[in-house]
Amino acid sequence: MKAETTAASYPRFLWRMFINAFDGTWKFYVWMFALTAIALVGANAWAHQVVDGMTRTNMSDHVSWGLYIANFTFCVGLAAGAVMMVIPAYLYDDKEMLNVVIIGELLAIASIFMCLLFIVVDMGRPDRLWHAMPVVGRFNWPMSMLTWDILALNGYLLINLHITGYLIYSRYRGHKPNKRWYLPFVFLSIGWAISIHTVTAFLYSGLGGRPFWNSALLAPRFLASAFVTGPAFIILLLQVVRRLTDYPIGERPIRTLTYVLRITIVINLFMLASELFTMFYTGGSHLASAKYLFFGLHGHSELVPWAWASLFLNIGALALLFVHQRTRDTKWLNIACVGAFIGVWIEKGMGLILPGFIPSTLHEMVTYKPSLTEWKITLGIWAAGLMILTIALKLALPVLTEKVRAASADAEPADATAEE
Amino acid sequence: MKRRVALKVVGATLGAAAFARALAPLAQLRDDANMDEFLQKNYRELTEEQVGDVIARLQADARKKYGRDDITIKDPHAIEGVEFGYALNLSMCIGCRRCAEACHKENNHDRKTNNSYIRVLEMKQGSMDMGQGNADYDHPVPQKGKYYMPVQCQQCDNAPCVKVCPVQATWKEPDGVVVVDYNWCIGCRYCMAACPYHARRFNWKKPEIPADEINPNQGLLSNRVRPQGVVEKCTFCLHRTRNGQLPACLEACPTGARVFGNLLDPKSDIRWVLENKRVFVLKEELGTRPRFFYFFDV
Amino acid sequence: MARALPLLPTLAALTAVIACNAPVQERTKQPAPGPASHPVTIRQPAALGGLLVKGTSANAQKMHVGCDTCHSLRTPATVPRDTKQLSSIHRGLKVQHGRLPCTSCHDSKSPQNLRLASGERISSAEVMRLCGQCHGSQKRDYDHGAHGGMQGYWDLSRGPRTRNNCVHCHAPHTPAYVGGRPVLPLKDRFLSPNTGGNR
Repeated sequence: MKAETTAASYPRFLWRMFINAFDGTWKFYVWMFALTAIALVGANAWAHQVVDGMTRTNMSDHVSWGLYIANFTFCVGLAAGAVMMVIPAYLYDDKEMLNVVIIGELLAIASIFMCLLFIVVDMGRPDRLWHAMPVVGRFNWPMSMLTWDILALNGYLLINLHITGYLIYSRYRGHKPNKRWYLPFVFLSIGWAISIHTVTAFLYSGLGGRPFWNSALLAPRFLASAFVTGPAFIILLLQVVRRLTDYPIGERPIRTLTYVLRITIVINLFMLASELFTMFYTGGSHLASAKYLFFGLHGHSELVPWAWASLFLNIGALALLFVHQRTRDTKWLNIACVGAFIGVWIEKGMGLILPGFIPSTLHEMVTYKPSLTEWKITLGIWAAGLMILTIALKLALPVLTEKVRAASADAEPADATAEE
Repeated sequence: MKRRVALKVVGATLGAAAFARALAPLAQLRDDANMDEFLQKNYRELTEEQVGDVIARLQADARKKYGRDDITIKDPHAIEGVEFGYALNLSMCIGCRRCAEACHKENNHDRKTNNSYIRVLEMKQGSMDMGQGNADYDHPVPQKGKYYMPVQCQQCDNAPCVKVCPVQATWKEPDGVVVVDYNWCIGCRYCMAACPYHARRFNWKKPEIPADEINPNQGLLSNRVRPQGVVEKCTFCLHRTRNGQLPACLEACPTGARVFGNLLDPKSDIRWVLENKRVFVLKEELGTRPRFFYFFDV
Repeated sequence: MARALPLLPTLAALTAVIACNAPVQERTKQPAPGPASHPVTIRQPAALGGLLVKGTSANAQKMHVGCDTCHSLRTPATVPRDTKQLSSIHRGLKVQHGRLPCTSCHDSKSPQNLRLASGERISSAEVMRLCGQCHGSQKRDYDHGAHGGMQGYWDLSRGPRTRNNCVHCHAPHTPAYVGGRPVLPLKDRFLSPNTGGNR
């Protein structure tokens, strides 16, 4: 068979991917059906929110950001942390890591989609999305940190789509990927991952009117917690992939990520301690938000159980990681990962966004508890993200294990040491 | 194999139908949809002629919606040689909230929520700590041992809200007023997070005002009835002040605690206050440089 | 590194695309304010130059009796130190104006008129001149728009302004300002007793 041109092969590749996205075992169908149902409930709730207004949420003029932005912030961290494996894999040329790096990049893509969805559902006027685009709209760059965030997140998405797309398509064609087409982007993605979460942190830390956020330590804290959630989720994800597919996943990647997790949880806790010391030792009215969060203020203590739960989850996860080190029982590792993931979710969501608004800038205590609409939409977006991740893995892994190949691939010189 | 494909096609069709059903409520927006409004650019990029077209459209819509022929929307420009300043006498304010009520009526605020751009804090005498203040009082005023501090948009010279808006829907006009283009705002509420003075309000739903309570003298950038999903704030009643009139809150104040005028006129009342009273601004350390000043008589 | 150089013009172009927005249209300003050409009117309260008496008239209106109604017909007794020393009329008048005797403000020879500190007689319509003699700082503030409020225009080249008289808010015999109940109570969706609370 003659070698095919890209122009002829690519559309066929896309079509095959499209078909494969809907083809699987009964477990796959049940999983996707459940996620679709949840996602549709969320979509419907959002449609009602657009028509009736954001009054369907429980946000107010005092607490003007809530569950959506909390989850947005968390998902940016997850996207940044997902690419954490890239550093050991490429910077230290760790061959065993290379197999699993792509899983991290696919998680990053799914996370960024979730971020973008969380922003869209939080907008009062999603019909005016085009106003925020450069050239066609009016882009307040470089002054507004939100514009930096728009560029950073979309750029990150494109970089990861390119890298994964290129590598998967090359493998599909049986070609050895050309380093020039992906290696620079890989190194770019390392710096870019750090910058997406730095920029997101700067959104908050640049606001003088919100002393709870106005700290130089916020961006480092964001990165530390991102590098907790990324590895934690991937450790669990790799085990799931290992169980459900025959994609080769060695022990080394999981071990490397566990080492990383042990360090980043400690750094995250240390930074939290540093912030708490500064606030509680100095005292004064800038302490009000932290006091509300951990001890309650003026008769309000809605967030106190959440704050302490998050602290115990993070510390407990660290303890379990040491138990795992001793006993080598994966059960402890997995529980630690789940605990750290939830602990950071609380810390970044309830523990960061809400206290920034409570007390308000005029020191009024108006509290917030998400409404049913907000929960539906949030869960719907998480379901959509999981769907994207599932489909991405389902498409990528068979290609990478050469189960799915272009018909013409057999005719072309295959390289035994094809790298990813 | 064929059955599998058939099942998949049925499944995909059902999925598409379910998705359409899920988003069905969006169809209710069809009546409000307007191509001209959708494509409308930022106010500052529009020529005067285009602004005229926008005003004509908005005015016609408002007249139809409220059944009132007297609704007029104007777009007064800044006045040469005028920069507005506002001062508030904390020795004179009795906390009666008539300013908040006047703002509520003048600016066509939603009736059910008693929304107003002015928030009056009952403060403890001897303390500037707003944490010991209370906006939700309902007893005869003035109370012993308390003083009253109304807070509204400070029209900052170095406004954090202007800095953070991703689409430049809010900006500082030449006469000092920070305005919002309600047809450009995307409702992200970043400005509300950035404002240190709780000056901004969001339209969590469409504001509801009975037709006979509508203030028909409306400004494009100030008190026309705002759409759902956008941010709004005090504009120093620019539809009045740019016509030389006093803002509604000042007219309603029974004690005369409010002083307004042209900062560039050396003979104005506001200049006299700034030069002869001990004047301060809120949260000065944030560097926002407000145009709203507070003073005590003694 | 040298291979990265071609990136620079691309980056520059991208930055230009992102940072440049459509030009802002100039808005012609309104002409500068002219000289003040409209009057500032100080309203005259109806009660000035008389008293509101108890009861209502035949057509159920409040009754306002001008000072001259009686004082032009009868010669009053010597103006006492306070109302308790009067025999009948004006006996019930509540006076809480520091420890001032009646003659501090009222001309002893014709009590329906007022007197300045020099003894000069002025009509009750000019009461603000008298108030300003003792309450100079308030009068000074009033003259500069920082006391007593106003309605109308800040730009007197475009329209007039009306002001209150001192006695609109400060009844001359009991000048302490009487407050009231606040209006437009807060109806925020999420106010709770501990929002700020009646602390």
